[in-house]
Amino acid sequence: MPRIPHTSPQTLLLFSVLLEEPQRWRYGYDLSKETSLASGTLYPILMRLTEQKLLETAWEPSDEPGRPPRHLYRLTADGAALAEQRLAAKAAKPRTIGPAIQARTA
Amino acid sequence: MSVEQALRESAVRRIAYAVLATAVRGRRERGGAWGEAVLSEFAETTGDREAVRWAAGGLRTVWHERRARRRELPRLVRIRRRAVRIALISIVAGLAANQFVVTVGYQASGSMEPAFDIGERYVVDLAAFRLTGVQRGDVVELTMPGTDRLVVKRVIGLPGDTVECRAGRVWRNGAPLDEPYLLADPDYSYTECSAATVPPHQLYVLGDHRVVSTDSRAYGPVHEDELHGRVLFH
Repeated sequence: MPRIPHTSPQTLLLFSVLLEEPQRWRYGYDLSKETSLASGTLYPILMRLTEQKLLETAWEPSDEPGRPPRHLYRLTADGAALAEQRLAAKAAKPRTIGPAIQARTA
Repeated sequence: MSVEQALRESAVRRIAYAVLATAVRGRRERGGAWGEAVLSEFAETTGDREAVRWAAGGLRTVWHERRARRRELPRLVRIRRRAVRIALISIVAGLAANQFVVTVGYQASGSMEPAFDIGERYVVDLAAFRLTGVQRGDVVELTMPGTDRLVVKRVIGLPGDTVECRAGRVWRNGAPLDEPYLLADPDYSYTECSAATVPPHQLYVLGDHRVVSTDSRAYGPVHEDELHGRVLFH
């Protein structure tokens, strides 16, 4: 069975954080804090989502001199729809465990 | 990072920033968009630990970005780059193997006839013999004492062995050797030597062409450090 894209726990975590306020532009550092994902995990996911037009990006012009512009992220309409759908699918299908383990944990 | 800010930063944070900035930008003014994105958030981190973790993740991001950019290159360019990389690695690995693992030698004299003809090439194991050790009868390559020439000889005696010659034959530890690698002709194989006991860490070596070979009969047992390799085949 082929893997369904954008279903990893890390991606779902990011989706849930982005969906809290889908219209607001977010900073990478804040997303990292809120999802507690390391930058090396978070940014490749952001790259992948952007590449597939699920996420839009912008550069925030710098307000103080000497400070580089910051990168901003927001779900596109497609992205928000997909995020809702993936999270709903995840909630509808809880992790199934084998009967043997079920018996032991019951 | 502004100048005032940089002055306030700890050494660890400055190093983390410098490493990340180098990875993102190299010698360019501005690096890839994603690398720059991680870099511009660096100032948000607090403390050394977080800064190092952020920079480490940034390196991973840069690596992902570079890989994505490579995938967009024309197929031929990618194939050519890979070919060049493989060629370079092969050359380096080949030179290293030739230096340290296995190499080819050239027999310049007739001292090992009939097994080795003059001008014959042979393959030498430079490393594995150090693990397995050498045995009596092995053909080894060694530096002839007093010279810098590599020569091929056969190991006759190991440390502790007593080697002597009686009536043109070699005796080891009181028994005559069976030496099928010698020619039957005594003009080739008649061996004269003075009795010797091999000291620790030394080897007693002889060339197969006994009447002409310069070997342990001339320069005595050789130290194991003079051993260059073991001849595998020729």
